[in-house]
Amino acid sequence: MRSLKLAGQVVALAAVAGLLGLLVWDLTHQKHAPRIGGPAPNFSLRRIDGAGKLELASLRGKAVVLNFWASWCVPCKGEAAMLEQAWKQYRGQGVVFLGVDYHDVTSDARTFLSHHGITYPTVQDGSGAVGDRYGLTGVPETYFIDRKGRLVGSHVVGTITNQANSFRKGIEAALHS
Amino acid sequence: MILRVAAVVGAALVLAGPAAAACAHPRTSLSYLEGQIMCPTCHTTLDQSDAAAAQRIKAFIQTRIDQCATAQQIEAELVQNFGAGILAAPTHKGFDLLAWWLPLGGVILGAGLLALGVWRWSRTREPDAALAGGPALNGKPPSELDAETERRLDELLAKME
Repeated sequence: MRSLKLAGQVVALAAVAGLLGLLVWDLTHQKHAPRIGGPAPNFSLRRIDGAGKLELASLRGKAVVLNFWASWCVPCKGEAAMLEQAWKQYRGQGVVFLGVDYHDVTSDARTFLSHHGITYPTVQDGSGAVGDRYGLTGVPETYFIDRKGRLVGSHVVGTITNQANSFRKGIEAALHS
Repeated sequence: MILRVAAVVGAALVLAGPAAAACAHPRTSLSYLEGQIMCPTCHTTLDQSDAAAAQRIKAFIQTRIDQCATAQQIEAELVQNFGAGILAAPTHKGFDLLAWWLPLGGVILGAGLLALGVWRWSRTREPDAALAGGPALNGKPPSELDAETERRLDELLAKME
């Protein structure tokens, strides 16, 4: 009977230790927004404007404008034309625009791209895992990555149409840092 | 007359349209799937959300229901699109099985421990009862008074008489 009691105590202690371990793991693995000047979190996501996947690291050596959007996001519709225009303006200087479709239905996203005439590459972050790693608070949000793969400038929260100056400065920082 | 027949045939064809489009299996419903699918931006089931993302997913589900897709097909497509986190309940395979079996195992283990505790408690009670005066004699409950107190009590009762 005493050994049974001891076994019960061991099981209870193991359960408590397991729960404590889970708590510690959760605390140490909480997502934090990446630091400006630090490396941009890499990802490899499925393209929705074509076949295959696109890895962010494959764009190393180019300045990257990373725009998180979704077809259900009304402000994203408002900035789509400006993004496309800026892409056409800057792509000759070695800037790549990359759209990341966040928590979206693929068919809706494709309709959005077609409707707004978006020609720059776009990938899909259906689960939102990449957005979480960037500390996304909503869509649209735009990040700037320099040729060495570092986050530069201050990322634009909300539409670029309302923050055109920050947007231009971000692109310049990505090109010249 | 010919016009009348043509009108009847036309009406019949219009009415037969939806029947022809009927599914080979019972259609699933939007309300059922709304309780099975999460809104990815607000982390509640779709039936509790009016978020823009939830509205688009509801529209997608309705479209697929209209196309006769089964609930399993729609769920699989949504998982492919959004990941397994879009499901309100874990799947019944692989690692997700733990989520189903662990609570059941916990309940069984708890019930077993409770039964063991009750059994042990009942066994320890029996010797206590024996020490307190032994089992009932001639249908009378065992006395809880010691012999000396009982003797004094009898004396007092005798004096009072």
